[in-house]
Amino acid sequence: MASNGLSRAQSGTGIITITGAVLRAMGATLKNLFRKPITVHYPDKPRQYPSRYRGLLALTYDKETGEENCIGCRLCEYVCPPAVIKVEMLKAEKRNYAKTFSLELYACEFCELCVQVCPTDAIIMMKSFDLSTSDRRELLLDKDRLHAIGLQHEPSWATGNLLRDMQTPPKAPAPAHAKPAAAAPATTETTA
Amino acid sequence: MLDQNTTTRVEMDWSGPERLQMNMGPQHPSAHGVFRAIVTLEGETVVAVDAVIGYLHRCHEKLSETLTYAQYPSIASKTDYVAAMTSEFAYVMAAEEIGKFEVPKRAQYLRVIVAELQRIASHLLWLGTWCMDMGGALGGGATIFLYCIRERELILDLFEALVGARLLYGFFQVGGTRYDIPDGWAQKCRETIAVIESRVDEYEQMLEDNAFFLARARGVGVVSRELAQDVGIAGPLLRGSGIDYDLRRNAPYSSYQDFDFTVPTEKDGDCYARYKVRMQEFRQAVAIIRQALDKLPAGPISSRPALKSVAQIRIPKGEAYARVEGPRGEVGSYIISDGSAKPYRMKWRGASFSNLAILPHIIPGHKVADVVAIMGSVDPVFGEVDR
Amino acid sequence: MLIALPPWVPMVISGFVVLNVVIGLVTYITLLERKFAARMQSRIGPYRVGPHGLLQPIADALKLMMKEDIVPTAADRRIYNLAPIVFLIPCMLIFATIPFAPGLGVADLNIGILFFLAVSSMEIVGLFMAGWGSNNKYALLSAMRAVNQIISYDLPFIFSALVPVLLTGSLKLGDIAAVQQGSLFNWFIFYPVIGQLAFITFVVATLAAENRVPFDILEAESELVAGFRVEYSGMKFALIQLGEYAHMIGSSFLGALLFLGAWSGPGPEALGPVWFLLKMIFMFLVVTWIRWSFVRIRVDQILALSWKALLPATLALLVSTAVVVVWRTGGF
Repeated sequence: MASNGLSRAQSGTGIITITGAVLRAMGATLKNLFRKPITVHYPDKPRQYPSRYRGLLALTYDKETGEENCIGCRLCEYVCPPAVIKVEMLKAEKRNYAKTFSLELYACEFCELCVQVCPTDAIIMMKSFDLSTSDRRELLLDKDRLHAIGLQHEPSWATGNLLRDMQTPPKAPAPAHAKPAAAAPATTETTA
Repeated sequence: MLDQNTTTRVEMDWSGPERLQMNMGPQHPSAHGVFRAIVTLEGETVVAVDAVIGYLHRCHEKLSETLTYAQYPSIASKTDYVAAMTSEFAYVMAAEEIGKFEVPKRAQYLRVIVAELQRIASHLLWLGTWCMDMGGALGGGATIFLYCIRERELILDLFEALVGARLLYGFFQVGGTRYDIPDGWAQKCRETIAVIESRVDEYEQMLEDNAFFLARARGVGVVSRELAQDVGIAGPLLRGSGIDYDLRRNAPYSSYQDFDFTVPTEKDGDCYARYKVRMQEFRQAVAIIRQALDKLPAGPISSRPALKSVAQIRIPKGEAYARVEGPRGEVGSYIISDGSAKPYRMKWRGASFSNLAILPHIIPGHKVADVVAIMGSVDPVFGEVDR
Repeated sequence: MLIALPPWVPMVISGFVVLNVVIGLVTYITLLERKFAARMQSRIGPYRVGPHGLLQPIADALKLMMKEDIVPTAADRRIYNLAPIVFLIPCMLIFATIPFAPGLGVADLNIGILFFLAVSSMEIVGLFMAGWGSNNKYALLSAMRAVNQIISYDLPFIFSALVPVLLTGSLKLGDIAAVQQGSLFNWFIFYPVIGQLAFITFVVATLAAENRVPFDILEAESELVAGFRVEYSGMKFALIQLGEYAHMIGSSFLGALLFLGAWSGPGPEALGPVWFLLKMIFMFLVVTWIRWSFVRIRVDQILALSWKALLPATLALLVSTAVVVVWRTGGF
């Protein structure tokens, strides 16, 4: 009968095939017994994150002037699919700032769309996701917290300009605010 | 279309003496997600199956009316979360079809590479969970499950290096893709698929001749050719019953016609046939990826300007239905656009939703233990079923 | 002895000692299984509780003791509460007849092996009580399967255990062990053809009597969740687990005694129990190795395997053993 595959056991050759198969399966598990386990002893040993890792979100300061990069344009707020970002703009003479910037990390999807649209590379993602708490309210990140995260962890490769240049490579020479690395994005990152 | 003379009606046989109604309920170690099957048993034999779905309904179709074409691809991956790339693929292709956007050749090849890698990853998960259903979480099934997960981790590492995320990507964008491959990724990809090819050979060796495995999979859950055509299933479920239909070859999209691959088909229609189809699909996917990596042209990865604001992508009025061959079958997306930045209506054709319709036809007559084996070989993902 | 003790006192004391040792062994055997299985699956087993997970069984035991004891409202209380005890007692009783060293055992009965086999199959009563008393369809289904399976596999189990009995000529476990002393090749597993075949059928029958994969249709987590134990929590669950693993260890001890020469091994006599323990662990690991390598088969296939294949095979084996014994002792 088709449903009782054990009918092969009745014949002599069936027994030999079955024994062979059984021994092969057991041999495979035995082989793995002596292989090194692939467990990574997190958190005792850190895991290697690739350079494009989408981790925690953070706000950045300008490398040269130390000013906040965020100009409060609210593009990230509009693009966010679960609408977790809330920004209020503060107008000033030379440039605008963000008066308040709150990000609900517990609802964030880590889709990187906010990073993609940011014109000043203000919001970026980090190579770490280590922010577990036992109180969800601690994951409602305000502006200070976001800046602190930016200083605490290692940033991942992606910034708004780099991502946009990857999608439409600039025909003109790289604009001033993007670092020379933008012209050849692949060389600054590794695949690890 | 279903008419009065259709021969594949299902008779639900609930009444009768010695009948026990058992709930293989939404919380169950082997339901591939939240799925409720009310099985009517007579002794150990299943007499009727009543499938109840809807536990994972998250209103994707309504949600897509509130999100723009730029935002939704990141969400689309959550329908079939095991094969996120093919889910996004369908939506993005439908939008491009309405807007008549050309996708650059490099982007098309990248999409193919990523979709085939996703197929391998999804089938690895299928193999692991199917063996675990048959063998128990404390038993040989768990061993194969962990081996498959170990291999799937290699592919997820590749995706992590490409996109930054492991499960839900947001890789696709209307007009092309969002990311390009970094340096060294192609080499790492080749090494990974070589490792996976050898491991798949190992799994076949472990399972093919195994009398226990054959006893559980041969002759179980037979889907006849006529039934397969009647019920409207797709994917390996269809190809295991002898119908040679694969969208990648029958209705090629995204330059699949440039690649040389075969579509595995088996005639028997039982769980073993579907298993063989999927094992062969591993190898075909590896072949496609190798060809795509060899022939990957240089060029832009998107024909539209880079995403700078949320309502940037506007699509003219129109409607289109685009479908891709996902690991589970035909994943389709039907969009009606009214000219604004958000779709007017979007409908998902979930592959698993249509595939689940086969259950009341093939399960009755089998034993309780076969219910999980059959469900595993149908391979539903309830994100797709309930959306 | 200064005080004349009544004869049952040493027996009670040794029984008490054996029970405690068995319970301690059970807890650490679970850890061994978890670590062994983990290594076969490319991972590390329990690691954090204590150095390399050595305190994990103690943590598990404490957890089970402190857990809330939930009794379903519609359960048949008396049967539900009694079932773990009725299940546990035979599993503990089998250790009474096993001699751990020459003369060191609780009660080395003249019908030792008969007692062992008879009592060990009484656990089915407790099992069915648990399935019935839970008032749960899953538990009932699993209990029905259990009755089916254990009845079917008791006969091959007995017949393959009888092969060493025939080769020894005595039902006393101490005698069977004594015959295998001396050299390595006295062990019954090395008896040409018959020894190996009997060992294989013994292992298969043990797997089935223990409800281990590939014969664990009884619990089958992916179908019946936990089978007959699904409604038990806390200490009652601990008792059932204890009984299962104690039975497992008991059968491993029996296998080591019947086929692997019990306490024979190099070194001084006092090292005998240590060798016995090591052989028991070996038997246990063989069963565990099989458990973690295969998928399970359906209940009708299990029964077919037993009645159509294993029972005729063990019967034939028994008859041929008898013929061989008579022939070797010059009966022909």
